[in-house]
Amino acid sequence: MAARPPVLRILWTRFAWRHWRMAPVSSGLLLLILALGVAAFFSIRLANQAAVAGFENFTDLITAESDGLITAPVGTLPTSVLLDLRQLLGNTPVNLVPVLETSAVPPRRADTEGIGARPTLQILGLDLPALVNLAGQAYGSGGGLAGTPGGAGRRIGDQSAADVYISAALARRDGLTNGSILSLVINDRPAELRVAGVIPTPPGRPAAPASLLIMDLPDLQALTDKTGQLDRIEFVLEAGPHRAERWARIKAQLEAANSPTAPRWVVSSSAARRDAGLTMTRAFRLNLTILSLLALLVGLYLVFQGLQGAVVRRRSEIAILRSLGVTSGQIQGAWLVEAAVVGLAGGLLGLALGWLGAQLAVQTVGRTMHALYFGRAVEAAAFDFKEALLALTVAVAASTLAGWRPARLAANTPPAQIAARAGSASDPGGRWLNHPGFGLALLVAGGLLTTLPPVRMDGGGRLPVAAYAAALCWIFGAGVFAGQILSGLGRLIQWLKIESVPLRLACSHLRAPGGRHRLAVAGLVCAVGMTAGMAILVSSFDLTMRGWIARTFQADVYATSDGDQTASTINRIVPATWQSIAADPAVKQANVIQGGEIFINGVSTLLVGHDPRFYRDYSHPAWVSAPRDDAVFDAARNAELVLASESFCERFRLHRGDVVRVPIPGGDRPVTIAGVYADYGNERGSLLIERRQFTNWFGSQLAASVILALQPGEDPEALRAKLRLAHPGLGVYTSGFLRGEALRIFRQTFAVTYALELIGIIVAVAGLAFTMSSLLWERRNDLATLRALGLRRRELSAAAALEGGLLAVAGLVAGLLVSLALGWLLIFRINKQTFGWTLQTDLPGAQLLVLALLVLASATLAGWLAGRWATRLPAEREE
Amino acid sequence: MTTAMHHFINYKFWLAARAVLAHLVANETKVADSRGRSSVATRRETSFGRAFRGLKPHGYPQKVAQRLAADGWVTWRVNRDAGGQGNVLRVTDPRAGSAGRRRDAVTKCVGWLVAGWLLGLGGPGPLWAEPAAHTADGYALPQPGRQFVFPRDHGSHPDFAIEWWYVTGHLFATNQGQYGFQATFFRKALLAPGATNRSASADFGNDQIYLAHMALVDKNSGEFRYQERLNRAGWDAAAATNTLDVRNGNWTYRLLPSAPGAPAREVFALQATIGADVALTLNFTPKKPLVVFGTNGVSRKAADPQAASHYLTYSRLAATGTLTLDTTNVTVTGEAWMDHEFSSSQVGNDQVGWDWLSLQLFDGREIMAYRMRRKDGTTDPYSTVAWVDQHSVVRQVGPDGFKWTVREHWHSPKTGADYPAKMQLAALNPQTGQWETFVVEPLVADQELAGKIGGVGYWEGACRLRDATGREIGRAYMELTGYGQSLEGKF
Repeated sequence: MAARPPVLRILWTRFAWRHWRMAPVSSGLLLLILALGVAAFFSIRLANQAAVAGFENFTDLITAESDGLITAPVGTLPTSVLLDLRQLLGNTPVNLVPVLETSAVPPRRADTEGIGARPTLQILGLDLPALVNLAGQAYGSGGGLAGTPGGAGRRIGDQSAADVYISAALARRDGLTNGSILSLVINDRPAELRVAGVIPTPPGRPAAPASLLIMDLPDLQALTDKTGQLDRIEFVLEAGPHRAERWARIKAQLEAANSPTAPRWVVSSSAARRDAGLTMTRAFRLNLTILSLLALLVGLYLVFQGLQGAVVRRRSEIAILRSLGVTSGQIQGAWLVEAAVVGLAGGLLGLALGWLGAQLAVQTVGRTMHALYFGRAVEAAAFDFKEALLALTVAVAASTLAGWRPARLAANTPPAQIAARAGSASDPGGRWLNHPGFGLALLVAGGLLTTLPPVRMDGGGRLPVAAYAAALCWIFGAGVFAGQILSGLGRLIQWLKIESVPLRLACSHLRAPGGRHRLAVAGLVCAVGMTAGMAILVSSFDLTMRGWIARTFQADVYATSDGDQTASTINRIVPATWQSIAADPAVKQANVIQGGEIFINGVSTLLVGHDPRFYRDYSHPAWVSAPRDDAVFDAARNAELVLASESFCERFRLHRGDVVRVPIPGGDRPVTIAGVYADYGNERGSLLIERRQFTNWFGSQLAASVILALQPGEDPEALRAKLRLAHPGLGVYTSGFLRGEALRIFRQTFAVTYALELIGIIVAVAGLAFTMSSLLWERRNDLATLRALGLRRRELSAAAALEGGLLAVAGLVAGLLVSLALGWLLIFRINKQTFGWTLQTDLPGAQLLVLALLVLASATLAGWLAGRWATRLPAEREE
Repeated sequence: MTTAMHHFINYKFWLAARAVLAHLVANETKVADSRGRSSVATRRETSFGRAFRGLKPHGYPQKVAQRLAADGWVTWRVNRDAGGQGNVLRVTDPRAGSAGRRRDAVTKCVGWLVAGWLLGLGGPGPLWAEPAAHTADGYALPQPGRQFVFPRDHGSHPDFAIEWWYVTGHLFATNQGQYGFQATFFRKALLAPGATNRSASADFGNDQIYLAHMALVDKNSGEFRYQERLNRAGWDAAAATNTLDVRNGNWTYRLLPSAPGAPAREVFALQATIGADVALTLNFTPKKPLVVFGTNGVSRKAADPQAASHYLTYSRLAATGTLTLDTTNVTVTGEAWMDHEFSSSQVGNDQVGWDWLSLQLFDGREIMAYRMRRKDGTTDPYSTVAWVDQHSVVRQVGPDGFKWTVREHWHSPKTGADYPAKMQLAALNPQTGQWETFVVEPLVADQELAGKIGGVGYWEGACRLRDATGREIGRAYMELTGYGQSLEGKF
């Protein structure tokens, strides 16, 4: 039996690949566009992952896998709980691993150094000698101790210096060796720690990040004034079968021993803890991922166009192939393979670009995430094969999907008909792009979707799925309508009767725009709409923040621990320090801020103890729901009253007048929300209570910060200098400096969005250039005829430039219109539903104008360049 | 072992723990050493220090020796180097009650003799050297004549540097299962009693560290399981000072309080696990009185007069309880051996390891045999075989009174060490003057503790005991150290 010829291979090598090879510029451009889309997606995913990786449970590096943990219902656990637990669990074989965590920063290099400029380090306090028991889990016929570590270590009986163990990365970076002294600021005090060793990297486990330090637990307790306190106790079961069941039994035992009215601990599984960071930031990361898909979406428009154009160009060849007996199925298969190969090639290029982009994006994404959620230093984004595979799959799948219709177009046309229609223009956009009713339906559907609430996720995160779907509907709907604008433009110019050959030539193609034109404009609408929409959001955010910052930072001097670099660092000011600051003769009034994380229904939020009168007088809160009377500001009447931030109310679906049960040591306390204020400081939300109440409930006098109003005539700078000198571990800022820093940090968080917008615009303009070159190539015989009729090359190039420019105008008109709708959607739905922040609306006219001019100029230039290239094409040249 | 932990123990701060462990295992040497010699206390160095250099046992007039032996006294003869005349110096009687009072009377008489001798009344000059009360570091040293008070002295003695409680035994289950077990709780002081730099945190102390070993061997399946544990003094490891109440993680070993109104009866309770699938809940009741090894309550270890311990042993206890094995609970009964020893000293470093045996004969006698191995392969003169008769009277012979022969070897696939697998011990029974032969055969070849925490592996396992004819005459536990690597310089 004769072997069947490998038709698909022949089709690929002799048919598809030949065309790609013969048109390297357009092929390269198409791949690049797709690659940019994939790169945006991949880099954001990698950056997200790197940023969240910082939240991984560091103790996992040490304990391999803990099965569960307990934390205090609020605050810290007393160490006495350890013995109680051991007695409670009796002969149950389980290792209890007490953990205390704190953050620290290197001392500042310059007095004017910005907030967040120094890396935040995490110090993990562990019972070091006991950790060896975790290593001994593999009892029985397991291996022995692998090697003897070298170097000098401090015996636990030696209390001469506090030892710290550092990561190999930090040792390398800062040239630290055993015995080196590491200077840090912990709480409000400078501390010097002796490097006692390097944390090893176990095989198959991630290396300890440079930001991780480990100390013996009692040393860290003493250093942080937390003697007798623990942050959590992890449970590591002995290795063996039925581990999950064994943990379930212990968990049940722990829960049974807990008092329902005054719980001593909260039991959770380690998986839940590990996922806490992921859960907390899931909405934020999804938002970014969706944004990153924008460029890919625009890219897919172009892949669709590119393949559709290729079908048209190769129509005669397809007809011949069909005549030679190649079946329509094989033709379709060949086109799909081609689409997939384009996706693969673009995807691979995108991975490389994306990895580079991730290195740039990771710092920004990390800083944003950590400013909003938790304080962890971000390492470089590592190449992740799973993410790469996902990006590649997305690229191939999307490209194949985009190639589906062109493939059907190629396959379903009979040979005779193809031959008969040879030379006629195709309509790649299909009927749907020509149907205004379809566009209208999309716009209406989008409108309806905006009324739906967000999807609520574990950990309090909210994902505005319906709002995103609405945005997609509006973008597509506007894309469809843009085609109508195009023909309107053509007719308008014709009506104006401007005697310009290039203009008339350009308009002749626009009056009855083909699918190719419509697709190009739709792509541009997508990019312009999203970019301008984001610009409106960012501008509105900026306006709101400026107002909020100006109102909020009205006191004169702010003091925090110098280690306080992000929203969630746990450095505090000890009472002796803040009392001496408050007693300074230059100080008229001091607001001592205490606070900590609490969990309400398992969702993290912040409880802050402060002076409500000071807050009212010096912070001028912007009320979402103002308190009905002054009771909340009166220390004698506000015992059960709180102020809640807008984010808090959004997160917990509460309103003014509602009662919240606040977990405190010994049980819950019901408090009433007296007022709701706008706050853009964090996404988790805050509850403000009278500080006296906070101290009573938690028994802690450690302050997060101290805000000072000075006596008339006192110089804030002079006090700042004085306090810095007296307390070198304090960060002391004047209100002017703090306002600038707050705005800088805020703007920094939007850097990623700017980058994504830029990529979207680049892709859209490149796509336009691609479309123009493709259109002009198809018209090469017309162009030859026009030249033969006496038109000069310059005139033809100008006509192409005008055509490109008019396409851009149509795209801009529809894009800017849809951007207004998207801006509204982003501000009042997506942002509100995700973060719970109400923003003032601001239309960034200048930015939008620059954007429009940029797009117009780029499109005109692209048209002109394509025109110049096309006029040089010989009439019968194949490509 | 999970990879993360496997590597974490390489972490440099483990040097601290390892340094401690090195000390602890060093004192295992001492444990074994004391097992070999403590009840004799008449080796080349006795508790009276250098003054008694050259003393040799069993050299005093036979009549005196026989009388004292008949009364259950452990006897010695002092051979003065100069004259070679024998003088009875000191006797000790481990038994309580009237025998103890008799011992005091004899001791007084003998004491006068000694005093006269020391003062030069019968010899070439005063040779008395009072044993030091403390080491240079400030740790307490064992003192002769210490009056042990129980239950207090079952508890911890933190003024001493080193202490351990050790229980081994053979268990028989209702389901025909047969098991051997080992439970050892060690304490090592890191700070001398007067030290001022103690941790402010009682929960995370820096003055003591506790190591513990738990092992179980299943004779039928041949499976040997063990676990080691290390904790600093504090919330997860402690030892009471007023009674026996020692714990390390979830492992505990306690003297149970007597029920009010019930006759005083000592019951020791062990609760322990090995990994996830073995749990031991055992109670031990002494079948024979406590034996205090050594001279006048002090057991010498080496040439250094400070190398001595107080060494208390129950050579036979009834064991009852429950054994949980892979979620199956079985009731077990059997017999156990318990040591409690505390000291503050180190042994010499010319030894590479030791072999130790505890034999429980079906006829009601026990034997503790100890051989300290030197670098050149010879047996150290401090080695010994101690016979405990049916009345808990201890009689001991030195290296000239026993012969230790290795009959088979076993190669450890885990550590590569070659251990003696079958031992033959021929020893002179001082009570009868006859030589007896014992053959010790491990129940299971692999009973090696690989030393994952201590870093030094050793073999400690349950054995059966036969006589020269192959008849099974009892049960044994054997400890073999220094075979994987020499212990010289480490301990």
